[in-house]
Amino acid sequence: MRFLPLIWSGIRRMPGRTILMFLQISVAFALFGVLQGLKSGVEHLVAAARADLLIVHTRANFIFSPLPLGLLEPIRSVPGVKMVVPVELSGGTYQKPDQQVGIVAVSPEGDWLSAFTFTVAPEYDAALRNTRTGALVPEELAKKYGWKIGDHIPLMTRTTQLNGSTTWEFDVVGTFDDSDIGGGRDKILSNFSYYNEARQVGKNTVNHFNVAVSDPKLAVSVADEIDRRFANSSNETKSESLRELAQLQLQSIGDLNFLIRAIVGAVLVALLFATSTMMMQSIRERTAELAVLKTLGFTDRTVFLLILAEAAVVCVAAAALGLVLALLAFPFAGRFVPGISMPAVVIEIGLASAVFVALVSAGVPAILAARLRVAEALASR
Amino acid sequence: MNFLRQFIALLAMSLAGVPQRLGSVLTVIIGVACAVGVLVSMLAMGTGARNQEQANVRADGVVLSSVGSRPFSSTVPREEAAVIRDMPGIRRGSDGEPIVAFESFVGMEGRRRVTGTRVFFPLLGISESVLQYRPEMHFTSGRMFQRGLRELIASNTCVRQFSGFGIGERRSLPGGDWTIVGHFDQGVGEQCTVYADVDIVMSTFARNAYSIVSVLLRSPSDYDAFRAAVRANPTLHLEAKHETEVVQDAFKQLNGLLDFVSYFVGTIMAIGATLGAVNSLYSIVDARRRELATLRAIGFGSGAIVASILCESVLLALPGALVGAGLAWALFNGLSVSPFGYSFQLEVTRSLALTGVVWALAMGLFGGLLPALRAARVPVTTALRAT
Repeated sequence: MRFLPLIWSGIRRMPGRTILMFLQISVAFALFGVLQGLKSGVEHLVAAARADLLIVHTRANFIFSPLPLGLLEPIRSVPGVKMVVPVELSGGTYQKPDQQVGIVAVSPEGDWLSAFTFTVAPEYDAALRNTRTGALVPEELAKKYGWKIGDHIPLMTRTTQLNGSTTWEFDVVGTFDDSDIGGGRDKILSNFSYYNEARQVGKNTVNHFNVAVSDPKLAVSVADEIDRRFANSSNETKSESLRELAQLQLQSIGDLNFLIRAIVGAVLVALLFATSTMMMQSIRERTAELAVLKTLGFTDRTVFLLILAEAAVVCVAAAALGLVLALLAFPFAGRFVPGISMPAVVIEIGLASAVFVALVSAGVPAILAARLRVAEALASR
Repeated sequence: MNFLRQFIALLAMSLAGVPQRLGSVLTVIIGVACAVGVLVSMLAMGTGARNQEQANVRADGVVLSSVGSRPFSSTVPREEAAVIRDMPGIRRGSDGEPIVAFESFVGMEGRRRVTGTRVFFPLLGISESVLQYRPEMHFTSGRMFQRGLRELIASNTCVRQFSGFGIGERRSLPGGDWTIVGHFDQGVGEQCTVYADVDIVMSTFARNAYSIVSVLLRSPSDYDAFRAAVRANPTLHLEAKHETEVVQDAFKQLNGLLDFVSYFVGTIMAIGATLGAVNSLYSIVDARRRELATLRAIGFGSGAIVASILCESVLLALPGALVGAGLAWALFNGLSVSPFGYSFQLEVTRSLALTGVVWALAMGLFGGLLPALRAARVPVTTALRAT
């Protein structure tokens, strides 16, 4: 504790230089925080995605190729399966061709919500079950297009109805919220029975089944068992958990990890060089002062620690400021990845790196200071 | 004249002192090198992506899609597509038929060769006229798909990047297995492209509308007339756009992202490097206090001193810029990356290196400003008295 004033006076010795160095370190760590935040944030999102929710789709490697509805019962009979819900996906546009809205048709029966990442209020859930043409819309989408409960919304689609029309009408009966990052924001939930009966072609087929597993630990074996049951049939399936799908989706950013690492590396190298030069120069200028300290009885070890402490205080404080800046800037940089937030681990890594920078850059100067011979240092004046 | 002589003398003196102040000098150079290196490599991604996107785009190519839509959501009904063939200004192929390619997109899944990871890319159902629409396309092995058969042809990029694209290999898709029957090269373009017969794709997926229709004009100058004719035809609910424009629209988001990231990261690194330069130059100036005071005492003007320090700072930043741009070129030029499912090569071009140098000059100038002013303001008496 009694060394604090000494450390402080060392820092204040050249205020201009310390402030510049402080700013430089802050800037470097702000950049570090944002980049590392993006990288860890993505990993975090993957880890947070539900592992107990399986998507069963066709093994044929086309997107949007259908599975027959008849697979529902065989899937339900697989041990460990808690809930199976058929899901049909299609899309339409609202009023203008560039206002696209996804249409997710589900069977809202039993505990269907356990097989989804949606949050629906009980009264809206009931309304969807009781209204054939009912639809739940996300809060934001309702705001965007000014939809209110009771509104009648026509969507232009590519799917032809029995009556020859391609315009589908839905009644807004409530709102829902989706915690999943992958599904896109602009979509509505509707009744599969309505959609299936009204369409001209593709009846009794679905895009995929959502399966809730009773125990997350069973997810992998349940997925394997489902796929095994349909192996060598005309409808081979592939079951994957939401987490696996999130991994897949975010993998595309994977190549950028290399780039992020390269940039963070460049930043640290430049920073290390700048701080060590500064510390070196500072020690050179303070030769006489350090000699006086030693004359007063400070041991080599104390002087060594004093110099290290000085560097550590500056680096850690500057890094803390930089990481705060990164936190502030993060929403701006993270808007390209929906749902991302900066995990706390980034702050920890950042502060640890700051200590590392301090120790490496002040190491040699501190050793020089510790080895300083009083007589020589004072004589050179 | 006097100013110039003083300036040159001062600059020579500063540069002669470089070896003694190696630490500070290297700090400036390394800081600038890192900032420029990062900026140039990031921008190289954007340049690479843009060149890749526009690689096979033709000035006389026109794309028709439903009004206001993007390629993946566009629908062109068969009846409307048939009308297009008789529009004015369309080039005719060797067989005398107008060069019009009908396309229908379907999502398809592939596995990367090295990592085994899954990627999605479009399967393009297309009419045979694609061979005339894209004359740069030529088969390196195998043959063109046959009309009405479930056959696929793939660009050589697909064969390199993904597994399961060898000739004769079958891919399990709706309606049974589809066989790969040909590999082709598509000029400079490096994207993986898979084509199949448009009619069989549409019947397999129960579609009755094309996604887009591409047309080759007699010459780029026929564009306005063609566009006007499309607009004037009441049976068509389509809009015609230059191929360039469509491609730019499709990649707007990716390009925007790459540009934002490049300049965001580049700016922050430049600020850091400038701060480092300020600090180093301050310490250089401080170390020369007596020298500078003496010079002023014997009649050197402050203007010449400011100019010489600024010049020194810029001269230190320049090698940094060259090292940075050089490293970016040596490490990253030609490197293939595939972020967000697009793949392209980084291209470190001369104009990018120039951008880097301009940024370095700015860093040098801003970094040198304050220290130069301090150097010129050193009070002669105090500085001489100082030890």
